[in-house]
Amino acid sequence: MKASPSERVIVVPCSGIGKPLGSVSREAVYELVENTRKGVTETICLALLVSGDKETLQLVRNSRCIAVDGCPMQCAEKNLKHVGGNLVASFRVVDALKQNRKLKPKSVTFLDRDGLELAAAVAGQVARKVDEILTE
Amino acid sequence: MQGRERKLSEFLKTVFGKFELRVRKGYYYLEDGFWVKVEGNRVRLGITDYLQRTVGDAAFIELVKKGTRVEKQTEIGTLETAKAAISILSPVSGTVEEVNGMLDERPELVNSDPYGEGWFVILAPNSLENDLETLMTADDYFKLMLKKLETEHTTVGV
Amino acid sequence: MVNLPERKVGIVSCSGEGCVEGTISRIATRLVLEKIHPENTVTICLPLFLAGGKEERAFAKDYPTIAVDGCDKLCAKTGTERHSGKIASSIVVTELTNGPNRLGSRSRRKLSDEDLALAESVAEKIAQEVDKILNRWR
Repeated sequence: MKASPSERVIVVPCSGIGKPLGSVSREAVYELVENTRKGVTETICLALLVSGDKETLQLVRNSRCIAVDGCPMQCAEKNLKHVGGNLVASFRVVDALKQNRKLKPKSVTFLDRDGLELAAAVAGQVARKVDEILTE
Repeated sequence: MQGRERKLSEFLKTVFGKFELRVRKGYYYLEDGFWVKVEGNRVRLGITDYLQRTVGDAAFIELVKKGTRVEKQTEIGTLETAKAAISILSPVSGTVEEVNGMLDERPELVNSDPYGEGWFVILAPNSLENDLETLMTADDYFKLMLKKLETEHTTVGV
Repeated sequence: MVNLPERKVGIVSCSGEGCVEGTISRIATRLVLEKIHPENTVTICLPLFLAGGKEERAFAKDYPTIAVDGCDKLCAKTGTERHSGKIASSIVVTELTNGPNRLGSRSRRKLSDEDLALAESVAEKIAQEVDKILNRWR
């Protein structure tokens, strides 16, 4: 699957470092951009966005963006909105726990099996949204 | 200034790492980390700041139904977080009159506002005076919390 | 308010998703927090910090904070200084390597053994900075 750079959907994880859910958001986005939706999605450094990097700002304002946050603080969504990014969808890993009750990711540094499984589940949900966006 | 002072004195507070941990004055506490607020002839129940910080982000909460009779220190529901599933215990006996419906859609209220909008249930107590005597005051729970922080510090966030 | 006497050092990592050095800086920070200095360090979540996280910003204002950046864009350093004042120390991973690897073959998702070893040596550098700060208090 391929899309021109201007058509690619930008998927931004929060990558929160304090909780396993932040690591799950990061892993889910990597699964998407490097594997299941490679060529039609891309990710960016959230911090670059906030530090005012011109190239990054232009990209998020001119592309359709999805925020993938770990927890209800929703830092990726907030930061994207704050800089005027074209946010079309948001996901929270904590919500995916409701459909995956048995999963209890414990580790932040290197995701454990539950964390990887949860990341795959989130990646699946986001992938379906990406497909929707691309067919609009 | 007076208004701000009144607001600031509602809690006993301490700072641990980067987190401020609060205990609401005037409430009563179960050692396990649940509080009771007396509201006339009813009581409101919830979770302490320390406990919510320890268990992590609430994913969902299941609570008993309205009309359920509960005994002191028995389970009235479960709180599931990314880390764990814990039993929610009632510090007092009584009958459930209201259940916080906001927690279905917004379980994160338990974390963001544990002494306010994150409440669990309201009970009509049946032995309030006796039950309160067995509970801790805010000062007592605060001291307990400080002790736990000294011995269990690795479990409170990062 | 009762404060527990605390000697804590904050570490804010860039965690940049765009290059492998971002992942290295993230893992190095976590190694310090979990293994090398678990009692004396606190990690500051940069996305939360930038989104206005009160606790993160207050901590970085009151306590010495080390910024760990993957590359010379210095997002952790500049973000922290903008909102909470001067940092105690700055570490840049690409200054320890041959430059950023944005499109190269090294995986930013699952570090190779070589990059894991690099993360460990970055963790040691961070730990040395933490030690310097703690020694100033003694």
